[in-house]
Amino acid sequence: MLILGIETSCDETSAALVEDGKTILSSAIATQLDLLKKYGGVVPEVAARRHTELIGYVIKEALDTAGKTLDDVDAVAVTSRQGLIGCLMVGVAAAKTISYARQLPLIGLHHIEGHIFANILSNPDLPVPHICLTVSGGHNMLVQVKKNCKYKVLGSTLDDAAGEAFDKVAKFLGLDFPGGPVIDRLSKQGNRKAFTFPRPMIRSKELDFSFSGLKTSVINMFKEKIAHGEMLPLADIAASFQEAIVDVLVAKTLRAVEEHGSKVVGVTGGVSANSRLREVFAETCKKRGIKVFFPKLSLCTDNAAMIAAAGYARMLLGERSGLRLDVFPNTPLGG
Amino acid sequence: MIVLGIDTSGYVNAVGISDGAKVLADESFPARTDSLEQIVDNIDTTLKKAGLSLKEVEGIGVGLGPGSWTGIKVGVTVGKMLAFSANKPVAGIPTLEVLAYVARGKSPLVCSVISAGIRDTINAGFYRSGVKEGDFFTGDTKDLAALIKEPTLLVGNNIESYREIIVKQKLSLENNINIMEALPSGGAVACLAAARLNQGKSDEPLSLTPLYLKESTAKVFVNKYKVK
Ligand SMILES: [Zn+2]
Repeated sequence: MLILGIETSCDETSAALVEDGKTILSSAIATQLDLLKKYGGVVPEVAARRHTELIGYVIKEALDTAGKTLDDVDAVAVTSRQGLIGCLMVGVAAAKTISYARQLPLIGLHHIEGHIFANILSNPDLPVPHICLTVSGGHNMLVQVKKNCKYKVLGSTLDDAAGEAFDKVAKFLGLDFPGGPVIDRLSKQGNRKAFTFPRPMIRSKELDFSFSGLKTSVINMFKEKIAHGEMLPLADIAASFQEAIVDVLVAKTLRAVEEHGSKVVGVTGGVSANSRLREVFAETCKKRGIKVFFPKLSLCTDNAAMIAAAGYARMLLGERSGLRLDVFPNTPLGG
Repeated sequence: MIVLGIDTSGYVNAVGISDGAKVLADESFPARTDSLEQIVDNIDTTLKKAGLSLKEVEGIGVGLGPGSWTGIKVGVTVGKMLAFSANKPVAGIPTLEVLAYVARGKSPLVCSVISAGIRDTINAGFYRSGVKEGDFFTGDTKDLAALIKEPTLLVGNNIESYREIIVKQKLSLENNINIMEALPSGGAVACLAAARLNQGKSDEPLSLTPLYLKESTAKVFVNKYKVK
């Protein structure tokens, strides 16, 4: 079954063709990085306008790259839940129109479910059930992934997502946007033990996260250094800050694993591309006899292939959305 | 030539069908603020009412706005993806032209008016016997009043209120301004698109984008979000 996936929930306009939920034939992504750099972040209305301009081209690109036409497509899957409302609408409007014009089944999906499937798509041997940490600029949660597309959210962030903290600290340090990859690169030249930043909620029994205090602590220290006219060891600050985030993410995930008796962890979302996070997860999990899985780097950030894969799984369960499919910007996963 | 026209820029789903200049169907569906949920259903309902299938449609017309930001994004995306996936030619029509077409023949000079969604800012277009005169206007009522120099028919949504403010700005116009209340019409979009398509003037479907007249809005964004 060939599924056309469409994803426009935030700042990537993307379309992909995936065969049987397994084989990616094409994955076209038009990133709005130029706009993000210009405005220093996502401006919802600007992003939505750009989606409107790009959506058709991106879908055509996905078809052309795969050497397919709409005649070959069996179903359309689209992100309809969680994201920026104006952005979601563009993808859903395109998906339902194609579905109507070509008489194809349509399925609307939750964005986070897509990220969970980015990992399943990358690792055919990733077992379900497992514990999944999803972490990006927009979300940060621990999810129990069960069979038949059932999910239980175990914890989520009370304030900033880890990716958001990366972006904000990077911006403050005068680094480029998005902050995650820049801090990752810079940290390789720094000493991660140079500064001791707080590890918020690392000892708490809850499975929730909070990164706002850590962010403030880094920014305050930075200001203090400037006030004393000290040289700024940017790489050391970046490495120490990144280490604090990684410590919290790993510790919380392992707590979830212990509490829920799972021996398998999936880490997904934009921040799952972070090299130090992958390293620490791999070391720690190895010691404890836990298997850990990450998506391919190309599937960490938002993409439509993961939506097509999730769509396939739900289609197999017999689920369909009608042509009245609407968008729900704030619906939680499993809601 | 059977053409399907849609316009969702004015807080309604306007869907119509024309055969040349003859309107076969002209429906206006109340939409929630976003137009998204019902639009495809509304297209299907309109086709069925006219006893037609999508296969029999030979061209698509899309209202490009200005109007509701979200509404236009939905309408333009639906219009272009319909043209692309059903393999039909498409013509994008400015919604100000659609309103002027609705008022055609009622006055030599028509001025169509659409709220810009920002306090006291309006979009307008002048049409003399159906032909656009000058550039589209974006500004406040005072500047629009200055442009009106002869008997003019104002057409648009909530048009009485615009007449009042314009006359307040320029009392000399009191007897020169007539009004006609109107919303975008799918039938009008279809007729205008048919005329354009017949002349071979179709648009490249994937390139269709909403018509945003508000330069000022883009600037508002830049000023608000610019990294300091
Ligand atoms: Zn995401």
